[in-house]
Amino acid sequence: MPGDQGFWDRLVTKLAQCDGFKRVASWTLVPFWASRTPVKPLPGGPHPAVQPSDNLQCMMNLIMPLKVKSPIGRAEAALAIAQNKDAIYAGLNNVGTVHFARFVIVGDNICMFSVYDGDFTNYIRDFIATIGQVFNAVVELVEGGEEVLPCEDHVEAFIQWVHERDLYQVPDTATDFLRDQEALKGDTAVSGNDDLTLLPRQMILQLRANPNVSLGSGYRAYPGFSVAQVRKQLGLGW
Amino acid sequence: MVDATVAKQLVEAIIANLPEPVGKRRPVHTIGIGVKGKFVASEVARDYCVAEHFNGETFDVSVRFSNGLGGLHQHDGWSDVRGMATRFHLSDGNGTDLIATTLGEFFVRNVDDFFEFARIATLAPYPKRSAWQKFLDLLQLKVPQRDPYPNETQNVNAGALRYADGHRFAQLGVFQEGVIGAPVSYARASYHAVHTFMVKDPDGVRRPVRFSWQPVAGVSNSDPNAVPRDKYLFEEIAKRLQPWPARFMLMMTIGEDGDALDDPTKPWPGTRRRILMGTLTLTDVPKDQEKEGERISFNPTRLHDGIEVSSDPILEARRCTYEVSREMRGGCPFRWS
Repeated sequence: MPGDQGFWDRLVTKLAQCDGFKRVASWTLVPFWASRTPVKPLPGGPHPAVQPSDNLQCMMNLIMPLKVKSPIGRAEAALAIAQNKDAIYAGLNNVGTVHFARFVIVGDNICMFSVYDGDFTNYIRDFIATIGQVFNAVVELVEGGEEVLPCEDHVEAFIQWVHERDLYQVPDTATDFLRDQEALKGDTAVSGNDDLTLLPRQMILQLRANPNVSLGSGYRAYPGFSVAQVRKQLGLGW
Repeated sequence: MVDATVAKQLVEAIIANLPEPVGKRRPVHTIGIGVKGKFVASEVARDYCVAEHFNGETFDVSVRFSNGLGGLHQHDGWSDVRGMATRFHLSDGNGTDLIATTLGEFFVRNVDDFFEFARIATLAPYPKRSAWQKFLDLLQLKVPQRDPYPNETQNVNAGALRYADGHRFAQLGVFQEGVIGAPVSYARASYHAVHTFMVKDPDGVRRPVRFSWQPVAGVSNSDPNAVPRDKYLFEEIAKRLQPWPARFMLMMTIGEDGDALDDPTKPWPGTRRRILMGTLTLTDVPKDQEKEGERISFNPTRLHDGIEVSSDPILEARRCTYEVSREMRGGCPFRWS
């Protein structure tokens, strides 16, 4: 406790909170432990589940680095969205499984965040059919995007491309991310010889492997309801 | 089936791990305070559960807030699980109880697990970690173990951690317990009933559910780096209720096929439908704390028509264990519906 700490205690406590130490640790300790205990990137998107409500209001979080990293590149991305407003609404109304979707520019990345019902591959497939031209307009501005364009001609490759850019969704409970790591390694044992005190290090190394993640599985005001149910309940028609 | 003999062994296992004898007091959640209030169900609650206290009328309630640790010394500022036991007083003079804690998930699945946990997670000396050891922790990218609180010489932390290292089902509960902190007020914490219950709606449909109390004032913990104060929660809740009541929302989460119905160590996903079942309004701290806080005896299986226990073996074990504990401390017996 702060009151009865000696000089060395106070020094270590201060060190743990010091930005300089964290920077040095990021350059030295983190790579050291990453080489000793390698961690693979965890896959993005929602965790596969059979329960109905786990397949409603699913999240997609794409971060796509722009080819042109300047205000010009960002303006091109903004224009691509603005020019396709009608196509986006038409797609949204026709597909009927999207609660909301947002395009956001962060740094030199164009991001797409959406909440949808049902299967991920069907979600993307439906949108390729209805707003493929919007995807094409955006993805051609993105690093590595040219390989899967036009998306209408590369449907499965495009779906895979999007999935690979979907962020890992860190589970709501701290220890569940350990289960994700174990599952990736094929370790499905009920019990192991673990060391729970290493959880902070494992989290640090995971965030080194997955620098961008979604925190938590999403916080929903009305979980378990689909777009169709909400629209019906509110009398909005279909 | 947990009979009185096993229940007695469970209580004795808890008592054997206490830092000091507690006499005719509760062996855990020893320090607590009784509070009075009213409960009114939401307009939709009756669509999901036919139990009387969800019919929309106003019911008197007795609540006992508590610190989880067993022992006669009050350590409000220590990181510890807090309890919120609630009795809804029904129209026929009977009652139904809902017992919840700030721990979201339990750390054992059944009675055998509990005995093993009690054998491993025994009281042990809790020395201060040296600066050198803490520095080594930092080099390993670990969070250094906290210093002992004033007058804290022993705890079960090392044993609980050892148990969790060997049993993955226990890791969530033990981890949460380790970082749970101390609330600034009993009225500023969320409390979870942990177990699954079955509720029956007016059409006879039975659903698996879990209950949580959520504070209208919001959740707030004290500064974990400050020197903890030993006594403030009783005074705080009494002061808080003088000018204005404190409220809690009762949320009910509905489980789905495949969700753990019999395992309180497993959380349900946040994607499950959750229903606002009602609002609890706490109004005053009664003067007779011996009656309202100490002799009052709760039981998580004291349920009323419309709510049933699930197949959770820990919930089943608590039925008999709470009664054995009540008898041992001379707690007030209460009519079962």
